Amino acid sequence: MNRLHFSWALALVLTLALVTSCKKEEPAPEDENELITTVRLKFTENGTTTTQTFDWKDLDGEGGSAPTIASVGLKTNRNYKLEVEFLNESVTPVDNITEEIKEEADEHLVVVIPQPAGLLTYTYDDKDSRNYPIGLTGKIVTTSAATGTIQVQLRHQPPVGGVPVKNGTATPGSDDANVTFNVVVAP
Amino acid sequence: MWLGLFTVDVLLAQSPQACDCLIKGTVKDRETGQAIVGAILIVEGTNRNGITDAEGRYKIDKLCQGNYTIECKIIGYKTVKASVSLVHSAEEDINLTEEEVHLQDVEITAHRVQSSLSQKTISLEGKALEQNQGQTLGDALKVLNGVTLLQTGASIAKPVIHGLHSNRILIMNNGIRQEGQQWGSEHAPEIDPFVAKRVTVVQGASGVRYGSDAIGGVILVEPDELPKHSKISGEANMAAFSNGRMGVISGTLQGGIANWKGWAWRIQGTLKNGGNIRTPDYFLANTGVKEHNFSLTAGYRNAKVGAEIFYSQFHTNIGIFSGSHIGSTSDLLNVIKNGEPFIKADFEREIERPNQLINHDLLKGKAFYNIGANRLTWTFGRQFNRRAEYDLHGPQAATKPALLFRLTTYTSDLIFEHAPIKGAINGQIGLSGLYQYNFTDGRPLIPDFDQTNIGMFLIERWVRNQWELEAGLRYDWRKLDIFKFVGSALSPRQHQFSSWSGTLGSVWNATEALSMRVNLGSAWRPPSPNELYSKGVHHGAAAYEEGNDQMQPETAYNLIGSIDYNRKQWQVEVGVYHNLIQNYIYLKPQAEPILTVRGAFPYFKYVQTNASFTGVDVDTRWEIIPKKLTHTAKISYLKAYDLQEKGYLVLIPANRIENTLKYNWTQVGKWENLYLSLTHLWAAQQKRVPPNSDFVDPPAAYHLWSVLIGGDWNKSIGWSLTAQNLLDAAYRDYLNRFRYYSLEQGRNISLRIKWNF
Repeated sequence: MNRLHFSWALALVLTLALVTSCKKEEPAPEDENELITTVRLKFTENGTTTTQTFDWKDLDGEGGSAPTIASVGLKTNRNYKLEVEFLNESVTPVDNITEEIKEEADEHLVVVIPQPAGLLTYTYDDKDSRNYPIGLTGKIVTTSAATGTIQVQLRHQPPVGGVPVKNGTATPGSDDANVTFNVVVAP
Repeated sequence: MWLGLFTVDVLLAQSPQACDCLIKGTVKDRETGQAIVGAILIVEGTNRNGITDAEGRYKIDKLCQGNYTIECKIIGYKTVKASVSLVHSAEEDINLTEEEVHLQDVEITAHRVQSSLSQKTISLEGKALEQNQGQTLGDALKVLNGVTLLQTGASIAKPVIHGLHSNRILIMNNGIRQEGQQWGSEHAPEIDPFVAKRVTVVQGASGVRYGSDAIGGVILVEPDELPKHSKISGEANMAAFSNGRMGVISGTLQGGIANWKGWAWRIQGTLKNGGNIRTPDYFLANTGVKEHNFSLTAGYRNAKVGAEIFYSQFHTNIGIFSGSHIGSTSDLLNVIKNGEPFIKADFEREIERPNQLINHDLLKGKAFYNIGANRLTWTFGRQFNRRAEYDLHGPQAATKPALLFRLTTYTSDLIFEHAPIKGAINGQIGLSGLYQYNFTDGRPLIPDFDQTNIGMFLIERWVRNQWELEAGLRYDWRKLDIFKFVGSALSPRQHQFSSWSGTLGSVWNATEALSMRVNLGSAWRPPSPNELYSKGVHHGAAAYEEGNDQMQPETAYNLIGSIDYNRKQWQVEVGVYHNLIQNYIYLKPQAEPILTVRGAFPYFKYVQTNASFTGVDVDTRWEIIPKKLTHTAKISYLKAYDLQEKGYLVLIPANRIENTLKYNWTQVGKWENLYLSLTHLWAAQQKRVPPNSDFVDPPAAYHLWSVLIGGDWNKSIGWSLTAQNLLDAAYRDYLNRFRYYSLEQGRNISLRIKWNF
């Protein structure tokens, strides 16, 4: 290749750089993977098969319209089974995130905190492979009539540096969900 | 960026009559070998000066015997100085002829600069740059007075000039505007600092020459010029850091092509690998960084024409500290309350999620053509920036980034520099175009967009004796097409912005020791897509941020002046600035929080106000023992104010003072140019913050000590050993987002070795 050819090659590369600018794709809507729109509490009184369902729901995600929050009504001096579900209802079919949490039970923990503390008592009723609770299923015992709130947190506690950090407490990790329901315990 | 080299052939006259000496010679651009017409030569300390003629020749007569410094300057080049000794001759020949005078070749490296003469610039090059290589571009720049950092941990650092950052400063990487996703505070410049031989900060608004975004200043990242000879040469750099156990190697190889006069090439590459950073008390989990970069340059030039092609790739994988991953406001408040991360880690090199994978490709072409003393330059750039941010969440995160930005930018600039008019007026006229498109995938944050910008400018400069005046004007027009989706239906929007920018400045070289410069410049910045359309929780900042599509462009009016006094052992430079920004865009806290599935988040809206940034930078240098012991001080003061709300602004760097004591040895055997320096930095607490604007008060003031030892060995090897944060101080900085989660990094000892061959 002589000098002249090399100059032409350089000119060609520059021109090609200009021409290749024409390829372009069409804009597409964003899709948020892992959106949780709904936190569902399912209470089943022991010895019965009737299930009461209460939803915390924000179908358009963060911002926009405010979430709708059902008020939880329970009876005094009863024992309930509590199942917690997490859904993405902004897509069809509805994405049941609870299944993913079960699959990754070793790095998730559902925390249920009554306020005031005497409103009701909550105990875990499920275990992951390392014998720590998951919290997708639990037991609730009510006593006297009271009003208050329960806070439901989904803690994501993935391993750090390959070492598991889940230790049965809420401390490690971060919130995937953190919602609060009003509760009335009445006769 | 073109680098030139003047060859000043100085003819020294010898005369018995003390004041009848003569200096004459020619001024050439070494890059092209062409004579430079209209260059001003000033003999410092006298009132004698000269201008080069059409052949680049000059003559300055009626000089007395003695030692002089001649200053050579011309618009578009960096001013150079050369020392000349007018020696006494034994012969008593009064009639001077060229043959009889002693000829001395003085070679001075001069750089063709793009910046304004009347604006204050500070550069980092040579040893000063080498001593700070190996970390990020920001880490290298922070040694310059007036420059601070906006950080997200230790590995993500954005330069801040006079309190302004991100979209309000412009980075010119090898002559091309760097277009990444600058609006994000955790989006660091995608530049390998080893490409640069010189990094220059132009302070103040520079909208005329550079176009939009140059509100706070411009950072010029300039590689070396291509070699002139066919001999193969190069350099190898190695840097090792104790903190993060980070290693960096970088190499450059360059040469010409035998028998192909004018052709030259260069290849350059860098590898970096670092693990978890350590604070004085604990390691920070997942704070490793991996980087591999390369660049290729080839070019041809002769006296009349030249062309250059440059291609570079930048790849980085940055781990984001796991302890900074929060899902909700209560997560953030808990970690602040705890005072340290809940999960402590050990040293680890592996990078896990969350992390950022960033690629930046740049293809640049440049050509010039000299028509007499006029010069036409065309620069073309194509950049592709791919930024993938991976979250911790869910199984999909393993394969798919939570956020993916793909930004493609084409730039084209045509500049015509005209021949000097009457030997005193120089200038350039330019046309610049930009076309850019962006795709965002994943979490809704900013929409896809497409924008076109066209700008035209004219700058003229007049130089006469001790005075230099300059004036310039620019007009920009921008069209922004937004591809917004409402559900799955496209709802396109279009914005058009246009603006005038101007500059007016003057330099007065009052005496040999004293010079003053003042510049009034303006610049504009159209609102960025996130300021117009963002709507959602900013993870990590624990804030719900909402844009406003009615936003108007920001306009900055910046008055900057400096006084430079340089006499014997003393050098003092005082710079004062006042930057008034109309329609300054910021996030204003709203009364009601936004309730989401992750709890309530503080609600912020992008709004506009008028803001002022007023400050002083002082640099002093005192040679306590000439050529041996030197003291330098840097003082930086800044006050930013919201003129409409009558309050302070958030995230403004605190005032700081830095003192350095440096001792030099000339030679110990094969060890040369040895030095030892001790530096103390004091950064104040930022007390000027708006009330209730943050989760926690700005961190306390801090003191940092550092030590540096270095020198050359056997002429070809340069080395330095540095200890940063020598006393392992536990501190936090207000401009580091991780101040909520952890301490700053602890002691970091680094060794740098550079081999030239």
